[in-house]
Amino acid sequence: MDIFLQQLLNALSLGGTYALLALGLAVVFSIIGLINFAHGELMTVTGYAICFALIWGLPFPLAVMAGLAVAVVAALLMERIAFRPVRGASGTTLLLTSFAVSAILRVLFQNLISARPIPVSIPASLSGVLTIGPLHLGMIQLISIIVTLVMLLGLNLFLHRTMAGRAMRAAAEDFAVLRLMGLRANSVVATAFAISGLLAGVAGLLWVAQRGSVDPLMGALPVLKAFIAAIIGGLGSLSGAVAGGFLLGFIEVILQAYLPESLLPYRDAFAILLVIAVLLFRPQGLLARKTPVKL
Amino acid sequence: MKKNKLLLLSGAFAALASAPAMAEDLVIGLATAQTGGLAPYDQPNLAGLQMRIEEINAAGGIAGKFPIQTIIKDTRSDSAQTALVAQELVDAGAQLIITPCDADPSIAAGMITQGAGIPAISFCATTPTLPLAVGDYMFSNYPADNVQAAMLAAHAVESGYKTAYILTSPDSAYTLKLPQYFGQAFTAKGGALAGEGTYSMGQQDFGAEVTKIAAMDPRPDVIMTSAYEPDFPAFVRQLRGAGVTTPILGSDGIDSPTTFGLGDLVEGVVFSTAGHATAGSPLEAFNARWTERTGAAPDTIYIANGYDLGTIIEAAVTAADSLDPAAIRDGIANLEGLQGVTGAITFKGTIGMPLRAVSLVRIKAGERELVAQGQPDPADIPAP
Repeated sequence: MDIFLQQLLNALSLGGTYALLALGLAVVFSIIGLINFAHGELMTVTGYAICFALIWGLPFPLAVMAGLAVAVVAALLMERIAFRPVRGASGTTLLLTSFAVSAILRVLFQNLISARPIPVSIPASLSGVLTIGPLHLGMIQLISIIVTLVMLLGLNLFLHRTMAGRAMRAAAEDFAVLRLMGLRANSVVATAFAISGLLAGVAGLLWVAQRGSVDPLMGALPVLKAFIAAIIGGLGSLSGAVAGGFLLGFIEVILQAYLPESLLPYRDAFAILLVIAVLLFRPQGLLARKTPVKL
Repeated sequence: MKKNKLLLLSGAFAALASAPAMAEDLVIGLATAQTGGLAPYDQPNLAGLQMRIEEINAAGGIAGKFPIQTIIKDTRSDSAQTALVAQELVDAGAQLIITPCDADPSIAAGMITQGAGIPAISFCATTPTLPLAVGDYMFSNYPADNVQAAMLAAHAVESGYKTAYILTSPDSAYTLKLPQYFGQAFTAKGGALAGEGTYSMGQQDFGAEVTKIAAMDPRPDVIMTSAYEPDFPAFVRQLRGAGVTTPILGSDGIDSPTTFGLGDLVEGVVFSTAGHATAGSPLEAFNARWTERTGAAPDTIYIANGYDLGTIIEAAVTAADSLDPAAIRDGIANLEGLQGVTGAITFKGTIGMPLRAVSLVRIKAGERELVAQGQPDPADIPAP
């Protein structure tokens, strides 16, 4: 029983990170229909920013602030330079643009910074462990869970209580009508990217704290997981992305824990099979937005 | 604007390729991964090799008469692209091909070079089956996985460990086979395997795996894994976090500044690597020269490894006393006890994976402490 509880805790922590990532993808997708595969590179940018801030002698909390700020700025720049010129183009164009941004950034990191991982000195206090009865929870895992909940709560408040948030929700419903209401499309889209940048920054920070280094390709895998999570949840649905993230984390941890040893190498295959099973029953994802049929 | 950027990039790559070769130049074609997942290994190897080539050319070429020309092409860490690049290099008249630091693209390139009768050397592929998969014109430039595993197993037995847990990842030959070779060598010497866990590379989540290890009763005496960045730091953080203090054995993938930056978490970890700079050793002298040349100390053994590849080429061509690819192949295959900066290198009597010294290093207060250095007893090395 203790082991099962511990595995649940593990699932919660992994799922939280996936949820943060998937949410970052979903915020942008819900507004302009773009799946931003360069989202992972925003994590990498955050990592490098934290790393260099620490090398310049900033204390850790300030370095984290700097990292998050850089992530937001990078997301805004990405939107302005790469995605605004193709806004409104077909989904394929948007998708390929985001692949291009991601590939260019990776090559730039490799050739201008270093192809080899650069160590980031994470304070020893983050390696600590919280022990609750028989359960162990690493500091970073604990922070992942708390930060995920805070971000979810904050985003929810923002979307429901502020003008910009309401505009974003309206944009997700019907962009044309939003513009007819006299709201500036550019600022709504920029807000979406800024939020997605912040989410990527927070996820990047947690990711780097776990691994203790930054490397040019580190964003590739997380964005893939986020994509899967967003698909399970229903693309474009924010609560769906969160549900998808937690479900994916849960599936992965439970399979890792309870598959027989001989089947363990196929864990990812089983996880994807379960994802396909979910989609067979809910083709639009768990919490899909109901898209009205246009006549 | 976008066109300009493209032009600039292609210009930069064109500049990497050198001028046409002279009649008596040794033309080395380098199919290397300068971008993508293998770049962290190929870039430092290439930098070290280039330093050695500059030295050789400054001295008038190999044996004073064969200056070296290089043609460098990026493979983007992609096997299909590596085969394509290898064909281009063969067509460009290369007499020797260097392939990336991994068995898969090296096999892809080897299919081309073997047929063309041109020797190929991988920068640092460690999979011992590489020359078996390609043929007698394929070599590598790094201690093989089974050799590292045998050294680690000998150390485990000497340390009195009776049971071992191995953690593997099916995502690469290195992360899967090296711990399994360790398991074979360890059980052959009387140890027992307590279990085998797996992980997905790059996932950084070991919660489920660590919970299983923590619940083992009795716990294994030692845990062996070839996980490296970013997996190794995440694993050791989560393992120690769960209160498991079992000693850890690792392999050369963790020989990086990140590992040493983990502080108390990695205290006592022992790993195998291709070289250790003891006082007065050639490696220490090389590191000093590199620092003088670039202004920064080498952050990985792969730089010295690439430098030694230059020495291997020099010795092989000197022995062949010709630029005929077949003669160069024989020259490499007959090298014995060649002194590189990382230690002695022998190809004679092997299938193409060199016999090279392996160092076992213990991390102590963030510093390296040499545990053992040398080659394992050939009888102890698991068959590939």
